[in-house]
Amino acid sequence: MKKTLLVSLFGLFFLIETNAQFTANYELGVGARFQKTEQLYWENGVGIDYTSDFLLNKKIHLKMSYASSRLGSALGSNAIKQDNYVIGADWRFRSEKDFQILAGLNTGFFHFDTEEPMFDVLPNNSMLFSMETGLFYKFKFPMAASLSVGYNLINGDGVSKPGTLFPVFYQLSVFYCIAKK
Amino acid sequence: MAKNTDLINMKNSIGVMKRSIYIWLLVVSAFGISCSSDPEISNDMLDSGFIYSIPDSIQKHLVSEYIPIPTELEKNTPVIIAAHGYTATTFEWDELRSFANMKGTFYVSQVLLGGHGRSYEDFKNATWEDWQLSIKVEYKKLSDKGFKNIYLAGSSTGAPLIINLLTTDFFTTLTQPKGIFMIDPIVVSSNKTLTMVGLLGPILGYTTVELASGETGKWYVYRPQESLKQLMTLINTTRLDLQKGIVLRDNLYIKVYKSAIDDVADPVSALMIYKGLKYDWILYKNIDVEMVDSKLHVFTRLAGREGVTAADITLQQKVFADMEQKMIK
Repeated sequence: MKKTLLVSLFGLFFLIETNAQFTANYELGVGARFQKTEQLYWENGVGIDYTSDFLLNKKIHLKMSYASSRLGSALGSNAIKQDNYVIGADWRFRSEKDFQILAGLNTGFFHFDTEEPMFDVLPNNSMLFSMETGLFYKFKFPMAASLSVGYNLINGDGVSKPGTLFPVFYQLSVFYCIAKK
Repeated sequence: MAKNTDLINMKNSIGVMKRSIYIWLLVVSAFGISCSSDPEISNDMLDSGFIYSIPDSIQKHLVSEYIPIPTELEKNTPVIIAAHGYTATTFEWDELRSFANMKGTFYVSQVLLGGHGRSYEDFKNATWEDWQLSIKVEYKKLSDKGFKNIYLAGSSTGAPLIINLLTTDFFTTLTQPKGIFMIDPIVVSSNKTLTMVGLLGPILGYTTVELASGETGKWYVYRPQESLKQLMTLINTTRLDLQKGIVLRDNLYIKVYKSAIDDVADPVSALMIYKGLKYDWILYKNIDVEMVDSKLHVFTRLAGREGVTAADITLQQKVFADMEQKMIK
């Protein structure tokens, strides 16, 4: 499943890069993502945000990101090492303004490391599916930031889903605009 | 022109403010409507306060009470202080007590957690520190009376209450515990809605659980949001302590038994405890964890349950025997 997801991600961005319509007047930002799950870990990583006129005049933003407790709570502690591979799309209200409101859907793949064979009985892989809403601000210089709250519709249940997949999370993303046409 | 613009801006601002006030009024009234009053409690429920007799329990369940002046032989006999889970009572450890009585090789001191077995109001007003206090009081009494082989056992919420004691200086002036057993410890709840209790609690007021007929009068039926918040605080504090790491004494034995499928205490709790409770690295050893093939929460308590299988009974007896062997060897 992880491989399928990665192939899909690369496919999506290959499409973006090769489709002329898709790249008409586009913006591509790369940056850092900081995520705090309610009552659980900090999971940090990197993300990409893409939009173009083709995407309803930049009202739709496509995103992908990777965040892990390896770069957060598990750094130098006993926190469980877990990874989130996410792709998603946002709808931007006030998309022509610097200050925007976003609402989006994400999907992806979640995994945590059981570390010892005796814990292999634990469910540690899951599909991700979440809703997200928040604020986005485009600075005068080529940077942007978003602050959002999300809700994982799939979360741990003690039976078949990973126990450290919690419902509510907060995100801060900071992007640097590396390409703009 | 500028004045007109200011006027328009002001009117817009007032409009936005009005809208905000309406939204807030809507939210506040929604809370008002949703906030539940206290539940209706019948006299056959534990929550009524008429079911469980505290003085009887103290006399019947606590080793410090029924062996007030221990002999040398009794002082050397292992004693387990057994702490039950959230909303439960001493009933949860009755079967271990029966096993111990049958074997005659160890004692079980069944503590009733603070706020439990009393009434809905008492439960609502108790903090997790209150829950823990009865474990501390009994431990100190046994230590003062000269018991030399003191063990602790915690099922479900009983386990984080015991883990928390390891992060304090509680044992410093007392007889050191020989070992700790945990049955289905909870560090992460299987029901993830608990993580939102701060937000949802005031709206819900309380939650209700359905008990089997054999469980009626032995567990609280109603869980006030105040107690759910206490539970969340306790397990989150424990998770953070484990995340930082709790260093164990070299000769403190720890064994965790965890059902591989558990819809109350998420099985990932066992991994967190395994990673968080550590002996000095130079000893090159870890605590014992056994993931057991069970779908029951607190699989050692079978009394009062419906649909108990032969495999459940075998597992229960195996674990009790395992605990006994560890204490008497």
